[in-house]
Amino acid sequence: MKWLWWVLAGPTLWAVVFVAVYSAHGAVCAPIPGPEGLTTGARLLLIGIWILGVVAFWPLLRAVPTGTGRAARLPRWGAWIGFFATVFTLFPVVFTTSC
Amino acid sequence: MTDTTASPSEAQAAPADLPRNPPQRALPLNRELAGVWANDRGIWGQITSVSHTTLGLRFMATALVFFAIGGILAMLIRAQLATPDGAFLDTELYNQIFTMHGSIMMFLFAIPMLEGLGIWLLPKMLGTRDMAFPRLTALGYWCYLFGGLIMLTALLFGVAPRDGWFMYTPLSSSAYSPGINADVWLLGVTFVEISAVAAAVEITVTILRQRAPGMKLTEMPLFAWYMLGTSAMMLVGFPPLIAASVLLELERAFDWPFFDPLRGGDPLLWQHLFWLFGHPEVYIIFLPAAGALSTIIPVMCRTRILGYGAIVAAVLGLVFLSFGLWVHHMFTVGIPHMALAFFSAASVLVAVPTAVQVFAWIGTMWKGRPELHLPMYHILGFFLTFVLGGLTGVMLAIVPFNWQAHDTAFVTAHLHYVLIGGFVFPMMAAITYWMPLVTGKARVRGVGEAAFWVILIGFHGTFFVMHLTGLLGMPRRIDVYPDNPEWIWLNLTSSFFGFVMTIGFAMFALDMLLQVTLGTRARRDPWRAPTLDWAMPLPAPSFNFSSLPTARHLDRPASEVMLELACGDGALPGAPRGQREFLVTSVGAARPDHVAHLPGNTSLPFALSSSIGVFVLLVLWQLYLLAGMALVPVAVLIWVWGRGLAPRGPLQPIEIAPGVTLPVHHQARQSLGQSGLVAFLVANAALFASVLFGLAFLSVVTQGPAPPPAMIDTSRIAWATGLIAGAQLLGMALSRGGAPVWAALGLCANAVALIALLAGIVPVLDDPTAHARDALRAAMAAYVGLHLLVACGMAAFVLDQYRRGEITEQIRGAWAPWRLWQDFTSITTLVTILALIAQKGGA
Repeated sequence: MKWLWWVLAGPTLWAVVFVAVYSAHGAVCAPIPGPEGLTTGARLLLIGIWILGVVAFWPLLRAVPTGTGRAARLPRWGAWIGFFATVFTLFPVVFTTSC
Repeated sequence: MTDTTASPSEAQAAPADLPRNPPQRALPLNRELAGVWANDRGIWGQITSVSHTTLGLRFMATALVFFAIGGILAMLIRAQLATPDGAFLDTELYNQIFTMHGSIMMFLFAIPMLEGLGIWLLPKMLGTRDMAFPRLTALGYWCYLFGGLIMLTALLFGVAPRDGWFMYTPLSSSAYSPGINADVWLLGVTFVEISAVAAAVEITVTILRQRAPGMKLTEMPLFAWYMLGTSAMMLVGFPPLIAASVLLELERAFDWPFFDPLRGGDPLLWQHLFWLFGHPEVYIIFLPAAGALSTIIPVMCRTRILGYGAIVAAVLGLVFLSFGLWVHHMFTVGIPHMALAFFSAASVLVAVPTAVQVFAWIGTMWKGRPELHLPMYHILGFFLTFVLGGLTGVMLAIVPFNWQAHDTAFVTAHLHYVLIGGFVFPMMAAITYWMPLVTGKARVRGVGEAAFWVILIGFHGTFFVMHLTGLLGMPRRIDVYPDNPEWIWLNLTSSFFGFVMTIGFAMFALDMLLQVTLGTRARRDPWRAPTLDWAMPLPAPSFNFSSLPTARHLDRPASEVMLELACGDGALPGAPRGQREFLVTSVGAARPDHVAHLPGNTSLPFALSSSIGVFVLLVLWQLYLLAGMALVPVAVLIWVWGRGLAPRGPLQPIEIAPGVTLPVHHQARQSLGQSGLVAFLVANAALFASVLFGLAFLSVVTQGPAPPPAMIDTSRIAWATGLIAGAQLLGMALSRGGAPVWAALGLCANAVALIALLAGIVPVLDDPTAHARDALRAAMAAYVGLHLLVACGMAAFVLDQYRRGEITEQIRGAWAPWRLWQDFTSITTLVTILALIAQKGGA
């Protein structure tokens, strides 16, 4: 069962970062809806959360069981899937969106 | 070999590869098992059957009948659209027919078909004798059948739903859809979804806890991985739809304005909840089909699958990513740019794990020696069709293109490429592949191959040109187009080839019929497959294996393993105790843990689903008082259901192989029932989260009128909250106890919490018809009340078990399920109370 948690850790972390960025976007946009709502500070906050999320994969990628064979490969791949999903899906959000 | 007797803790140490049982004569062993596992005779036997083989096949057969009905409706649509001024159907009937076509195909064909395949195939493939909860399988089937019949009957009487298969509000609200048409959809689909959640629970538990000893999670057949991903998605994906349907039905029945913008509601809430289900639904449909492909392709190519690990990783990636895509169905509704950016990126990204699988299949074919049997025809049809559908999916993920093509025939073409390519072709491959295991007969060559070509030509003739029709601007769901002559020839072409495709499906059905009636006896393991599903006689017996496979029987040609298992070489040979039994193993390494005794044939699932059906019909006829009374027999039958789980006779440890004995499930630390309840609570938590999401959405996003000012009786809320919190914490502590007095006190604690809710919280809630947020608070209070009521019932059930002497030092009875339920109820109750107070303060 522990092995299954390792496999799911990467995608789960992606989901957590997604929720964090989405919530922060909602919070910073709530006072001033509209294109001018996302101030430089607010955007930096979003980028900061995103970078924190990306960096959070570092300990996961280091801690994930190493070794050869399928049982070791799958948790590693799970972590990398989460990492790339976080980079790819949240990059446009923090850099290009407005309120 | 050391004796690993009796206690569950010792049983953990039971070796995965068990000693051989002494050889026995195959035929007497077979007869002994057949006597225990067979269905009763006649019609009654069909009603009382709980066999996974019977019910799995019945699910699939029923789904295929619904597929035929949905196909006929599609032909009516095509007949209407063949000419610009078609007078074949009037607008009202046309609306009903396209709504029913979509609803039947999604809810009454695709989902039940995959459930049926999983229920029928998984125990065979994993090396066990049945699903984890056979009565639940039967209950699921009857709920599916009755729900489907309610919807079909409505069509015959002209009161079928007519608002499209995704029932958007406000079109489906009572102001614009008077009558019972929309109610038929909401109640019928929710009734059918009972079967989906039931199937998801037992598929999850069966895969995690019933694999053959030694079949590690990392080595189980890929089909099981796909079904595990599917069932996880069903557990999380279906509750938002159930929540949305219940809320809309409450709005229609009692005027609680969840989706009414004039009273603080929001039609977009429906869209969010629907697509939170609706997009994962596409992958729920695709994954089992992909699992079948991953099973069949290596066999057809005489090789092993390429990239097992990559495929598993891709499946896990899809499971997660598919919940991050739903908003791409809503790109045109005016959502924030952030959502557009994220969901567009996620929709593009999902092509990666899909492509990993497609490349793995192509690589498998490349390294193997493909043999062009009929299943392979359908697999090649899948490749062509699904890849085209995937490419148009990437097009639709790009926001500017989506804005242009939204709600046009282009989207209709895309979804048919994905669903027929990604589900129907693989299912036809699966049917032709596993048919000998169903019928015991070889197919009659010729008709099946011809059917494939006719379907393929008919399909692409119908839907390829539909992309062009859509790009020329034809919207979905219109019945006439007199001012658009540029669409005439394209529509006529689609209609012509639509009928060609129908002829193809009729030929496919004929091919099946010929196999059943005229086919010669098939030889065992006709495909020379490596999976356990072929290591049994043809057709498959009701008990699957005379003795259960162990580690030494895995990963070997089925034909080799078959005889060993038939002669009792594996674990738990025969049925010497006259009971239905199988092995339960640990989650990761599949080490034998205990032996589960299963209930035999029973009419209880039929009776329970009939009672639920009566409740649904009474709600449909708006006889709410009678409907409330109809819940009494439902509750009584659930109680009787629980009583059927009591041990029958003394619980002696069972020797599953020489020198290896295991306890029966009543004495197990982690029984299948507990695992099943955990899975159910995951679905329940998703339902609760959906309602919380609704509350947050209406509070934060919706720009409607503020709720009327409320007078808060703080002292009353304070004492009620304190009482409920205290009672629930006490209930949590008491449910961990182990004496009748603890159960009695637990019952009292839950009763006190329920009374405090009804007397202290409910009266201070505002009129739920005044504002959407008030309505949601009332709905949440009702949710909590229902859970507290069930917690009372479970405590009472434990007390009753003491009274009947069914709880002893060794047997914990219903304590563990009650504890799980109590913990869940306590947490959701406290969260709800906090949300109600916060809302009340902010109102």
